[in-house]
Amino acid sequence: MKKWGSAIVATMLTLSLAVAGCANQGQSSGAADGNEILVGVLLPVTGNNATDGKDMQNAIEMAVKKVNDAGGVLGKKLKIEVADDGCDPQMATTAANKLVSQNVVAVVGGYCSGATLPSSGVFKNANIPLIVPAANSAKLPAQGYDTLFLINGLTPDQAQTAADYMAANQAKKVALVHDNSAYAKDLADFAKAAVEKSGGTVVAYEAINPEEKDFSALVTKLKGIGPDATYFTGYYAAGGLMVKQFKQKGVSGLFFVGDGSFSEDVIKIAGAENAEGLLITATPTAEFIEGAEAFTTEYKATYNNLAPGPFSALSYNAVNLLADAIKRANSTDPDAIKKAIKETKDFKALGQTISFNAQNTLDTSNFAVLKVAGGKFTLAK
Amino acid sequence: MDILVQTLADGLVIGAFYSLIALGYTMVFGIIKLLNFAHGDLYMLGAFVGYTLLSVVSGNGSGAGLMGIIVVLFLTMVIVGAIGMGIERVAYRPLLLAPRLSILITAIGVSLFLENGSMLFWGAQYQVYPLQLSHDGWEVFGAHITYTQIGLVIISALLMLGLHLFISRTLYGKAMRAIAHDQTACHLMGINVHKVIALTFFIGASLAAGAGTMAGAYYGTVNFMMGFIIGLKAFTAAVLGGIGSIPGAMLGGLLLGMMETAGTFLFGGSWKDVVAFSLLILILVLKPTGIMGEKVTERM
Repeated sequence: MKKWGSAIVATMLTLSLAVAGCANQGQSSGAADGNEILVGVLLPVTGNNATDGKDMQNAIEMAVKKVNDAGGVLGKKLKIEVADDGCDPQMATTAANKLVSQNVVAVVGGYCSGATLPSSGVFKNANIPLIVPAANSAKLPAQGYDTLFLINGLTPDQAQTAADYMAANQAKKVALVHDNSAYAKDLADFAKAAVEKSGGTVVAYEAINPEEKDFSALVTKLKGIGPDATYFTGYYAAGGLMVKQFKQKGVSGLFFVGDGSFSEDVIKIAGAENAEGLLITATPTAEFIEGAEAFTTEYKATYNNLAPGPFSALSYNAVNLLADAIKRANSTDPDAIKKAIKETKDFKALGQTISFNAQNTLDTSNFAVLKVAGGKFTLAK
Repeated sequence: MDILVQTLADGLVIGAFYSLIALGYTMVFGIIKLLNFAHGDLYMLGAFVGYTLLSVVSGNGSGAGLMGIIVVLFLTMVIVGAIGMGIERVAYRPLLLAPRLSILITAIGVSLFLENGSMLFWGAQYQVYPLQLSHDGWEVFGAHITYTQIGLVIISALLMLGLHLFISRTLYGKAMRAIAHDQTACHLMGINVHKVIALTFFIGASLAAGAGTMAGAYYGTVNFMMGFIIGLKAFTAAVLGGIGSIPGAMLGGLLLGMMETAGTFLFGGSWKDVVAFSLLILILVLKPTGIMGEKVTERM
């Protein structure tokens, strides 16, 4: 019955996307010729992860505006076409196909790894370069696509950061909880390996259904085990509830969440007092990056005093990297752009210097441990 | 021991939510043989209406008192009950004599309409309830049972008791039972069938809305898709107890909640749904009508 229900939902979504696609095509016809370069943006702007998706879209729009105000690229203006992947593999495939059919020269986007895995395949087949600012499952580069570029640190780096912090704080008994998504399971698996390598033991390895709200049974089970540290690797909606129920039941030990739960919403959902002391392994947001003050100020000024979210700086970097690559390629041909991105050497961006290795990923990890203190994120180290 | 008691207490709370929603499924099925797939979304709607009302009540930051919460709960139940009645009038009544499949598909349409309509109205993000329920409680055999949990279970029990008395003791309750038996005969006896069906939808929707508001306050977040999975679980609970049977829905909900928490405890979180749905298959194989269901002959 469940399968049937979701099949119907999927069909309806596909239909509505198709309708939306037609409407958009009407507007943007003629965009690719003339004075504009059409860049695709693939993000979850609806659904469970809409908050982060919207935030990334804001940063992308800001970067595009900046590039255009400075004279554009190759004498043309960048124009973005946003498609909604809803963090869902089926929706992502449809959305990616839509972008391909609109002849985008390159795509920036990819938040959930589970949705980015299939969409990266669509772009590979169409030979369109995809710069991914957020999704970072190790399965993405393992596909070996030459069109796929990842500028976020990878999952193994994140797992290692968490394991190092646990080891430094004498947390030997570690409980791992994921939400069965590609990204969260990946991170939990790498964390298991990293914890065991540094001499700790994994006392529980569990999964939750992020569509539900009651994790009390699992939390009670953890309480009985009494871990030194618990690491939840899923996304913020379930993460906030986990933190809340974990604290209310009074389970022992530190509580870590991965970068999927790195959002102000996690504090809001858990409640400030429950979130106090929560540890997050993530790539730091703009406010913790040296040299990104101007970005933060401008972001707040543009978007109603909204603070930039976890992936806004990376999304901003992705657009700038793409603009730079198009300039160097001196062409809007996807093949030339792909080659130029690949050849990027020491591109200075907010909080990172981008050069790609053989797998089209970065060699340096930008992960850090953050801590919630007084209802705000602070650097823990 | 402490863990056993804690697991049972947590299961009881989840089970109470399942039961309240399962009642709506079972009542509607009992009376017009419709699997109302939009029912889980009425639960979602209840959570959102409660969220909006509570935001208004606690608007100046003073926070809603216990009285405020109860008033909001009551208002939400009335509002969503009326919406449930409206849905029946607009979407289901014209199809009452159409083939069963048409009305079933309409129910799925109503469900999608409610989900996406709520997304447009309240937004796609998670909304956080404007109140934090107290976490004080009793220590029973080492398990921590909060006053909130006890309160939720008591309110649910009172609602179910009220429903039971209504169905078994009042004239309208009798009419409902009669229509479940034979709609045409009731029509001939001068019973206003449409009015009674509308009342059934009102009661079902308001029970789901009550569960929605309580779940929203208890867990703290609401989202437009929250009714989908719990709707399926409540449907399972209704089938488990025997669809069409009101005591069955109550029992099925509680049983499912308990089995889920026990399953998580024994086999791990990823096995929770496996345990719940295996139980369903087992019951259906051994007793296809559900625990308390009666064998009825198909009329149409």
